[in-house]
Amino acid sequence: MRYSLIKRTQFGPLDYIHQGWMKLTLGLSFVFLYAPLLILVIFSFNDSRRNIVWRGFTTKYYEKAWNNDGLIEAFANSLTIAFFSTIVSTILGAMVALLLWRFRFPLKGAYEGAMTLPIVIPEICMGVAMMAFFSRVGWPSGLVWPFNLSAITIAHISFSFPFVAVIVRARLANFNLELEEAAKDLGASEWQFFRDIMIPFMKPGLIAGALLAFTLSLDDFVITFFTSGPDTVTLPVKIYSMVRFSVTPEINAASTVLIAITLLLTTIALWLQNRTGQKLGH
Amino acid sequence: MLGVPPGIWLTVFFIIPLSLIWLFSFGDKQGLVDIELTWTMANYARAMDPLYLQIFLKSFWFAGITTLVCLLVAFPIAIAITFSPARIRPILLLLVILPFWTNLLIRTYALIAVLRTKGYVNFGLEYLWDGLNATLMFFGMDPSGLIGERFTPAPLLYNNFAVVFGLVYVHLPFMVLPLYASLDRMDRSYLEASLDLGATQFRTFLSITVPLAMPGIISGVIITFIPALGSFLTPDLLGGTDSQMIANVIERQFKSANDWPFGSALSFILMYITFFVLAARALFSRQGSAMEAS
Amino acid sequence: MNKFPPMMRRRSFLLGMGAAAAGLSIGPKGAFAMEDPTINFYNWDTYIGETTLEDFESLTGISVKLDLFADNDELFAKLKGGNPGYDLIVPTNDYTERMVEAGMLQKLDHGMIPNMANIDQAFLDPLHDPGRQYSMPYMWGTIGIGYRKSAVDGVPDSWKWLYDSDKYSGKVALLADGQTIIQMGLKYMGEALNESDPAKIKMVEEMVIRQKPHIKAFADDNGQDLLAAGDVDLAMEWNGDILQLMDEDDDIGYAVPKEGGLLWEDSLCIPAGAPHPMNAHKLINYILDAEAGALIADYIQYATPNAAAKALMDSSYTGNPGIFPPPEVIEKLEVSVYKGEEYQRLIDEALTRIQAA
Repeated sequence: MRYSLIKRTQFGPLDYIHQGWMKLTLGLSFVFLYAPLLILVIFSFNDSRRNIVWRGFTTKYYEKAWNNDGLIEAFANSLTIAFFSTIVSTILGAMVALLLWRFRFPLKGAYEGAMTLPIVIPEICMGVAMMAFFSRVGWPSGLVWPFNLSAITIAHISFSFPFVAVIVRARLANFNLELEEAAKDLGASEWQFFRDIMIPFMKPGLIAGALLAFTLSLDDFVITFFTSGPDTVTLPVKIYSMVRFSVTPEINAASTVLIAITLLLTTIALWLQNRTGQKLGH
Repeated sequence: MLGVPPGIWLTVFFIIPLSLIWLFSFGDKQGLVDIELTWTMANYARAMDPLYLQIFLKSFWFAGITTLVCLLVAFPIAIAITFSPARIRPILLLLVILPFWTNLLIRTYALIAVLRTKGYVNFGLEYLWDGLNATLMFFGMDPSGLIGERFTPAPLLYNNFAVVFGLVYVHLPFMVLPLYASLDRMDRSYLEASLDLGATQFRTFLSITVPLAMPGIISGVIITFIPALGSFLTPDLLGGTDSQMIANVIERQFKSANDWPFGSALSFILMYITFFVLAARALFSRQGSAMEAS
Repeated sequence: MNKFPPMMRRRSFLLGMGAAAAGLSIGPKGAFAMEDPTINFYNWDTYIGETTLEDFESLTGISVKLDLFADNDELFAKLKGGNPGYDLIVPTNDYTERMVEAGMLQKLDHGMIPNMANIDQAFLDPLHDPGRQYSMPYMWGTIGIGYRKSAVDGVPDSWKWLYDSDKYSGKVALLADGQTIIQMGLKYMGEALNESDPAKIKMVEEMVIRQKPHIKAFADDNGQDLLAAGDVDLAMEWNGDILQLMDEDDDIGYAVPKEGGLLWEDSLCIPAGAPHPMNAHKLINYILDAEAGALIADYIQYATPNAAAKALMDSSYTGNPGIFPPPEVIEKLEVSVYKGEEYQRLIDEALTRIQAA
């Protein structure tokens, strides 16, 4: 950003975003990502059971989705699971990344290998493994909310935190080790160094990792399918059983509401972040 | 100390469940429900049939192409995000991830609506075709010889192209996120130095940006390739009559074929192969860094 | 959901009647007070009357929790690791048989299902569950060809157009289920539906591989969507799925091929380990009630085995050949039976080879 200070009027060579081809690539990528969703939103207002031909405008499928208790409950379950799973996976993933980056210890290769297992394994195999495991150990079912979701949450954490570890580690690989020496020279304790230097440095990696963990959990169908019971249906499982026969506008309506909520929440989050950023003084 | 909680978690909630499946793969199916552990190798022997090896190869091919396309698409996105003003950076990052908070199945069906014979891509193509047709007519040329008598919709669905397209669509953020994470921390003075010394943008990209982003590229490739290799919903929904991937076969073993021992064996072979690739990668990069050090 | 205008008017009338009649047949409230007033019903999507479960709840005070499964294999896989808490499930006949074999179902107490008297005699002693010890019939139907009238010559009433012809090349979808592909192919070749001779299964496999260049897709139970969107003109599908589409699109037809095909029945069963078996019996009995059954059949448009319910329906339902095929067609249909695990493996390997070829 030094460039924008020095050369106020013209764009520096590193301001790739202002170059035509870069804008074009970015634009095309967003069309690629958003065109299907746009069509989904449009068809949520379609007055037909199917998503194929436009038969007029209606909002009745929103009403229908709203009155579908099963769908609402599944959504609440999904969010609860994603919330807990993201917190635990981010912490566990960061611990693994720090450990592997910083220390040498016996059997490090084996430890590292084991940590990549959940990424490597086919989802369906892990789903069946989880189902077999929870039924063998007699994991209690029918507990009160949110503990009835514990089995699914545990399964989600198990496949999410290695992904967080990979991302945070990629971030750590760029760490300038001299910073640590400098900090130690200046008399910083291990904890101070960790809190004041490592955490801020890891932050983008942690955020990216947490986002990925949240996405993985919210989107997971296969593993959840095998670990869910009548009280613990999540949104993907619910949707899967509904779309297998035909995608109805009801599902599109529910997804549109979801997209709207996500947009709203993220906008608020960004606004808050900007505000605190400004307060801290720029 | 740091490694203990994740280690315990992984052991109890992953290694132990997985060991059950590992034991299944040496088991013998008894009737409908029971599996008897006989340490038989029959399941692995069956998996060595050329039929299954061919499907393994095909899955690698699909996942490989997907990863390559993802890398090519994700790199410009990641660079654009990295070099955009700090103010809009989180917004762009979120825009990349937002679609992925919509369920995979819904996104896949939305993709079907776009790609189908009477979908929007084909409507667009037809519109262009009509325009071209009218232009040619205007210049007194006979369009039928050049672009055909009638518009024929492009077959965008139910074939291998659709599978790769769908896989790229689904796995793109897996590539963008780690690339961004490593590019963001890149020391820009290297780039400035390179450009100041007269290197072209392209040369700078190849010799500075790519090597500096290597950890991100490797993570991205790993976390894209591996899930892509194990996908079964995408080939199931978008694929044609020959788009079967190994995970489809595995899924059937756990469902319709009801042959858990064989399904477990196939899963473990898939895991062993992936591990082999990862180990080779690790060995390769260790040699690379040893050379740099000397 | 579905709109069936002529019947809409009858629905409210039926509803009142149904509630009254069902009240009588269900017996005094609170007879089984030891169970919680809930039940977990695991069913296919859009496969119950619009208000059936609410009516049942207001009648008995038992609240129904509906959970959906997408296919029989899913149902089987889910219950295989132990029943996670379902009370009432709806497997198709050969899976009912398979689940009985695996000890996954519990015997029904016929004393608690007085409405069993409403069931058509023909359904009381089926091959898959002699004496109806484990299951009650829910709905039945066929598998046939859904087609787009304007794109097809006449009525495509032969499996030939799907299995052995390039006439509709690239405009044909088969179901993705291996067993269905093989069984319909066997019928086309003049064999018995339940033929398990590996040589004959191999013959079908080779025929399908030859036909593959002309097949657009193996559809996962969404052939009707492919048909509706114009991606294909002929699709192998369950009759109910095509009937629902015909209601929206006049250009769609349904035919059961002259070589014959599959006759299936979905049954109401209580899985072993169900936490609320008493409530499940009550719900089964309610579904078999004449008026409640008529409301369900009216809404989902599948053929009901409930003779008393059928008697309440008008001719647009009972006279619909897509729902109730004429006797000469039924004669050629066969019921699929469970043929052991070795057969499952044969079918799966055939499907793998077909898709890999």
